[in-house]
Amino acid sequence: MKRVPAWVLVLVGCAVCVGLDYAYSATVAADRGMKFWLMIAVACAINVLSATALNVVNGMAGQFSIGHAGFVGLGAYLGGAVAAYVAVAMKIPLAALHDNLSFVQSLIIVPCVVVPVAVVCAAVGFVVGLPSLRLRGDYLAIVTLGFSEILRLTVLGTVEDTAKNPITKAIAALGGSLGYRGPKLDGDFVGIPSVAGPFWTVGIAAFAVFLALRLKRSGFGRALRAVREDEIAASAVGVDPARYKVTAFVLAAAGAGIAGALLAIKRDGPGIVSPANMRFDKSFEVITMVILGGSGSVSGAAIGAVLYTAVFYLSEEALNQAARAGVGFLANVDAAALRMALFALTLVIVMLVRPEGLFGERELFEKKRVAR
Amino acid sequence: MSWLLNALAQGSMIALIALGYTMVYGVLRLINFAHSEVLMMSGYVAFLVDDRLLGGYQHGGTRGVLISTAVAVVAAVLLGVGIEAFAYRPLRARARGATARIAPLVTAIGVSMLLQSVAQLAFTATPQKFDPRLAPPVGYVVLIAAVVMAGLYALVHLTWIGKAMRAVSVNAEAARLMGIRPSRVIAVTFAIGSGLAAIGAVLYSTTQASIEPTMGSSIGTLAFVAAVFGGIGSIPGAMLGGVLLGFLGELVKFTSFSGMKDAIVFLLLVLVLLFRPAGLLGSARARRSSRRAWRGRARTFAPSTGGIRRACAGS
Amino acid sequence: MRTAHPFRPPPPDRDEPLLDVAGIEVRYGGIRALTSVSLHVRRGEVVALIGANGAGKTTTLRSLVRVVPWSAGRATFNGVDLSPLSTEEVTELGISLVPEGRAIFPNLTVRENLEIGAYLHRNKQAMQESLEDVVKLFPRLGERLAQEGGTLSGGEQQMLAIGRAVMARPSLLLLDEPSLGIAPKLARQIFEAIRAIAASGVTVLVVEQNTRLALEVAARGYVLRTGEVAKEGASKALLDDPEVREAYLGGH
Repeated sequence: MKRVPAWVLVLVGCAVCVGLDYAYSATVAADRGMKFWLMIAVACAINVLSATALNVVNGMAGQFSIGHAGFVGLGAYLGGAVAAYVAVAMKIPLAALHDNLSFVQSLIIVPCVVVPVAVVCAAVGFVVGLPSLRLRGDYLAIVTLGFSEILRLTVLGTVEDTAKNPITKAIAALGGSLGYRGPKLDGDFVGIPSVAGPFWTVGIAAFAVFLALRLKRSGFGRALRAVREDEIAASAVGVDPARYKVTAFVLAAAGAGIAGALLAIKRDGPGIVSPANMRFDKSFEVITMVILGGSGSVSGAAIGAVLYTAVFYLSEEALNQAARAGVGFLANVDAAALRMALFALTLVIVMLVRPEGLFGERELFEKKRVAR
Repeated sequence: MSWLLNALAQGSMIALIALGYTMVYGVLRLINFAHSEVLMMSGYVAFLVDDRLLGGYQHGGTRGVLISTAVAVVAAVLLGVGIEAFAYRPLRARARGATARIAPLVTAIGVSMLLQSVAQLAFTATPQKFDPRLAPPVGYVVLIAAVVMAGLYALVHLTWIGKAMRAVSVNAEAARLMGIRPSRVIAVTFAIGSGLAAIGAVLYSTTQASIEPTMGSSIGTLAFVAAVFGGIGSIPGAMLGGVLLGFLGELVKFTSFSGMKDAIVFLLLVLVLLFRPAGLLGSARARRSSRRAWRGRARTFAPSTGGIRRACAGS
Repeated sequence: MRTAHPFRPPPPDRDEPLLDVAGIEVRYGGIRALTSVSLHVRRGEVVALIGANGAGKTTTLRSLVRVVPWSAGRATFNGVDLSPLSTEEVTELGISLVPEGRAIFPNLTVRENLEIGAYLHRNKQAMQESLEDVVKLFPRLGERLAQEGGTLSGGEQQMLAIGRAVMARPSLLLLDEPSLGIAPKLARQIFEAIRAIAASGVTVLVVEQNTRLALEVAARGYVLRTGEVAKEGASKALLDDPEVREAYLGGH
């Protein structure tokens, strides 16, 4: 059987993830350097998941979504809330909640978070995907952007003391621009528990990549490609574009939602879900990852995500150290803006020099296809 | 009455900026995300010239605002044309196939992000404000916008370059067959759109908004929605869309959802797109253009289908 | 093989062809649409390019105005090499193409469509004169100057497309299937107009599927088959050619 090696890989992967997780909890207090790298690993994994999901819609199905952050944000709010309520139900004391939770506790909380988030986000993805039946290209992109902006602006738009009716009150409970910090317990915010370590993040991301690769090589993947290249021709050979486009949106939404949830509940996480997660530049970041790697290529998107995230954190660290070392002008520079400028510039240059990205549509160890 | 005038003023400012989106979309079928950053940058130029060089309200007065507006318009034109020349033009020459549809959009987003971060680096995130005494009366805002838009209408309908613009927007290839150089028309389109955005930026920032690196994404997005609302690619559509949004914004203020004004705007945008995908005024034309896109594609494949047809006929 | 032109005085004394095409090859991706097309058109001549669907007639015209590039071969117009030029530059030399499917500007008025045709000259008075000429040629357009182009019938749109091309005052007019999808009576009218345009001194190269109609107006013709010139000759000879009759004139 051909499938066996894949499952062996998965098992080995799980073992590695568990190992990483223990390493993470063990080294958290002890070794700052190790923790730094594991933090990057967690961030990379989450972005790989997010980029892999976006790649299904943008790369494989050729529908241009620029509202990915909306799903990520939705997943973050939902996942954060579920995690907080589950943690409270588990009667974890407040003091412990503000620290990283144990691996055993994560075994209970994370599945409780991931499953409902995936289901709800998939449902929302279905709704957002429906316009793809009527709209094409730019117009569809606008709708996806509209979706994420509606979510973000709704959360931002209401603060507790101005909330007048039940709808606005409910929205105000999400904390507005201050961010969501879970329910109140004894007059104090519970905060979002920091529970998902490398085991969950790297594990889920690896599983998503694996799934996406299988998807691409299956009949489903071929159908998506047909829809991307020419909808009319695809429907002429019996591929129903509507079904495939909407399914692509559903898958991408579920993946993005899980990524968002993990972002909210990751180890050493912020303990808060901020509406900034849904800002357009977050969508832009994911688009950059996918495009850098080559849209349509699963390994390309994953590598793009790892590259982006690694450069992101390493450059931040480098800038911090340089500033500490007294490189004068760096102290006054807005590091985030500088980084964003560099990423944007890179993206524009990549578009001009190599519009198809690093990999094009190819996979990592795949030979170049003969030109048609 | 003052309520009406306010709404109209809001709307006409939005419309001024929306025109840039719609005109570029008309000739290039590209959502120029960088337009909002042209708006933001010209706001900064106007502010800096007025405040640092001309001494703000104290020394410059209204004359100072006029001069700085002129400088901002020039700067915006240069920036807009520059973006087109350095980021979009090379792409038009080489991107093809599936990337040809997405690459320009990604580039536009990239340029927008780049300019926004550059502004943050250069001007910091701290909002800047014009002296409130420099704000023109609401009536003037409406008047200025109306005059500018009337001028634009005349330009598009009565001059050669305006006719060339319309021809390119309908069918670029046919326009080239008439000897029109699309690259020149495109450059002029960017120039005009950017100039209008600069005027809009000055009106906006003198009357209400503060100037900050993210002002492009908030005001620009609103303008973009207006353009889609009226039917992107349609000049009267952008004007109508802007005014409608102005009224909408003022109306929402009366409800308990006032904080969610922008969310409601987006909700409406999505609904408009769903039920009238080409906007209020753009329907017939957009449908035609999509049909033409299909026809164009069929033509590209003509030799092969011809072969198939021959093969069928032979068998 | 220079035959007496039935509708025009004998060609001017300069003998070199206005348009000289030598062995042009055009590829769409990996497919060769034109293998090698060679033809020439002399000053004042009307030449027809006929052939079946997919033979490469439209591609030939589109490559001459540089809408599609050719990968081998060479074409000169008035002695000027066309290969380094863009579509606009070719147009400026005095070649006008009336594209297949007409490609008028549907939401511009008939008058605006015609005015844009004169874009190269951008002179109010010259434009007015050209406009009067076109209206004389196609009185129907004169009645509909204020109407939007998209509201015209197919035949009228073809007239508009030809009129628009004439507005540029070209020395060589390329016509791509002017009778396509048009009622026979209107098609005849359009060919009468083409004849009149030619009589005013414009050289014409016309691509047609309606072989009989085209050869009636043209002095000479080329038969294109799978991207190559299969036959050439005087119109009369082609009309009498049994092979041509069989293939393109049906049982008529």
